[in-house]
Amino acid sequence: MSTLSVFVVILNVILALLFSLGLAPILVWVERRVAGLIQDRLGPNRCHIKGIRLGGLVQSLADMLKLVFKEDFQAKAIQENFCFSLAPVIVFVSAFLSFMVIPFADDLIINGERFIMQGLPTDLGILWFLALAGLSVYGIMLGGWASRSKYSLLGAMRAGAQVISYEAAMGLSVVSLLITYGSIHLGDIVAYQGELLFGFIPAWGIIVQPIAAIIFIVTAFAEANRTPFDLAEGESEIVGGYHTEYSAMRFGLFFVGEYVAMSASSALIVTLFLGGYHLPYLNTQTLQTTMPYVLGFIILTLPLGSFYAMRWIKKHNRWYLKSDVRNTESAVLQKGLIGLNILVIAGLGALLYLGLTPTSTNVATAVIQVLTFAAKLFLMNFVFVWVRWTLPRFRYDQLQTLGWKVLMPLAIANIVISAIIIVVKGL
Amino acid sequence: MGIKVVKRHGNTLKEKLYLPAIFGGMKTTLSHFITNLSDKPHISTILYPEEQPHDISERYRGVHRLTKRDDESVRCVACFMCATACPAECIFIEAEERTDGVDEKMPKRFDIDLLECVFCGACVEACPCDAIRMDSGIFSFIGKKREDFVLTKEQLLANKEKKQ
Amino acid sequence: MMDILFLLLGSFAILGAIGMVGFHQPVHSALSLILTILALAGLFALLSASFLFMVQIIIYAGAILTLFIFIIMFLNVKEANLPKEPTKNITLFLGSLALLPFNFLILRAFYQMPLHVNSVESDFGKIKPLGMELFTQWLLPFELISILLLVALIGAVVLGRKDEA
Repeated sequence: MSTLSVFVVILNVILALLFSLGLAPILVWVERRVAGLIQDRLGPNRCHIKGIRLGGLVQSLADMLKLVFKEDFQAKAIQENFCFSLAPVIVFVSAFLSFMVIPFADDLIINGERFIMQGLPTDLGILWFLALAGLSVYGIMLGGWASRSKYSLLGAMRAGAQVISYEAAMGLSVVSLLITYGSIHLGDIVAYQGELLFGFIPAWGIIVQPIAAIIFIVTAFAEANRTPFDLAEGESEIVGGYHTEYSAMRFGLFFVGEYVAMSASSALIVTLFLGGYHLPYLNTQTLQTTMPYVLGFIILTLPLGSFYAMRWIKKHNRWYLKSDVRNTESAVLQKGLIGLNILVIAGLGALLYLGLTPTSTNVATAVIQVLTFAAKLFLMNFVFVWVRWTLPRFRYDQLQTLGWKVLMPLAIANIVISAIIIVVKGL
Repeated sequence: MGIKVVKRHGNTLKEKLYLPAIFGGMKTTLSHFITNLSDKPHISTILYPEEQPHDISERYRGVHRLTKRDDESVRCVACFMCATACPAECIFIEAEERTDGVDEKMPKRFDIDLLECVFCGACVEACPCDAIRMDSGIFSFIGKKREDFVLTKEQLLANKEKKQ
Repeated sequence: MMDILFLLLGSFAILGAIGMVGFHQPVHSALSLILTILALAGLFALLSASFLFMVQIIIYAGAILTLFIFIIMFLNVKEANLPKEPTKNITLFLGSLALLPFNFLILRAFYQMPLHVNSVESDFGKIKPLGMELFTQWLLPFELISILLLVALIGAVVLGRKDEA
């Protein structure tokens, strides 16, 4: 193993960590702020470190600190100490591991060496995700059972039944996708989506397989236990569901695990249906051939975008009292943005001026693709949050009816139809 | 008896598909989100401790106050009407004889326990002399001990009417 | 490295199996069964049968045992209502003693088998060659098994249905 390959592997693991763990506090913030704005409120906005609020993001840090230092209370009735402690770990680890097979960028080629840009360099792809989604339910069921509380047990039962029934529909919708893409390796699936359909539409999964996309997205909401399928923690009926008896960091693991699972689901949706790391109309090859133009475009648009962002920040990032330290934030942000602009433009300009070598083109491609993937992931997470604050919760029998009587037959029909089309067209 | 047949909703194909309704709802929430990010947000949240509420009306029932006569002496005649009307029994009055010739009786002690008070305004309604009012406009009363929340006659006299 | 992994996974599988028989609580038994199944999946992965590895986890650990645990939790038998098994340990010991000659037979058969030492092809155990094999050479057994599963499914539905009185 050369130092380069070690470096790339470490980089991939760090990217996976950032996209799952690093995104969790940001997602908590997004959830609370978006909920506030949707309901005509403000959401958390006071917490600050020397005036830096970042729109309330600091609140997430404060909440995390609170969770770590809280008393880890455990009811006396809980005798299954091992199971009780193991449950949140299972939820967290399986959510985190399912992130490991998502490709962040196309295979990176440096000096003739080929690196797969995902956390674990395996081509198990979607099977890995399905397996870990199945395992994560053990955490919920074990936690609910070990809590020895009726609410927890009810929540765990609901979660178990829900995940089992929706896993069937999810697996079947994936089968029709696999028939279309002809591979289970997520890298191949994304490469397929880089092509154009009829010469002008990007062949994204949501266009090629719209029914599978709808089924998969609905079941992904159910697998991640998000509204409208969050019956497992229906607070109006069963208090907190399976994590009623948990506190402090053990609850924190459940909490973070939920967001990591949501992020992993979004990553898979992006990879399967929204073109993965591809920009529309720019697959890896065209991106590499038009790299100078793309870099030039970035150099031109970055200052413009920063200007409008700064104008928005100056208009909205105000505190009621003039003398408050929070009012100094805009100036700090402005300096940061200007510095970032100078750095990026100088770097890209130097790259263009010195001329692009194959290696630097490949690295630039990978960076752009990782950023594209991050942006798509963030948008999909936003959709998860957005849906949560729009839709009410399903009733339990409606949930099972939808899973077994609607989604499942639809998925099977979709498999048959796509198989027929594939065979007839001889693809 | 006439029977009114109510038309049931949810049987057309469009309604059974759920998705149009879901997208409709998502459109509504997104429009709220975008409006609130724009230059003219519809957010009426105030930054409370720094920014005080500005919609406290004339009739808002805040902390009580004892009114005064023209000569700045207490108007209350210790008739116990308010203490009798009080559903929470939070008014404690001790009467004494008034010697300055303005009236015959006045309270020696007039305590209101704000921790027991339910701010119903029955005392104000019951008072025959207009001696107790709740128009001070104080909506947030802070203390560090239980004893702090028992307002004495002097404190009640010191509360001023909120200027509109 | 492979040997250490094999020993670890093997001992986990055996420990899980022992726990599955030995534990008193049904949930604990089911959990040790999960341990066994996961260890077996790891052994498949060591044999570079990656598809079997995933299927073992998805089907057995992810679906079947979830149902087991679901049912056990659903019944939620109280500690006092569990059957008393005072002679369990002796029964287990005697049972394993009785199976010992059988073990020797298996070991003997195992040592008589020719050893495969030639390395497997690069796409061994992957989903594509496996699917090709299943749908060309073993098509009839595959379809027959599917029909068997379908029959079992319909049978379960028919048996489980309430009588319409």
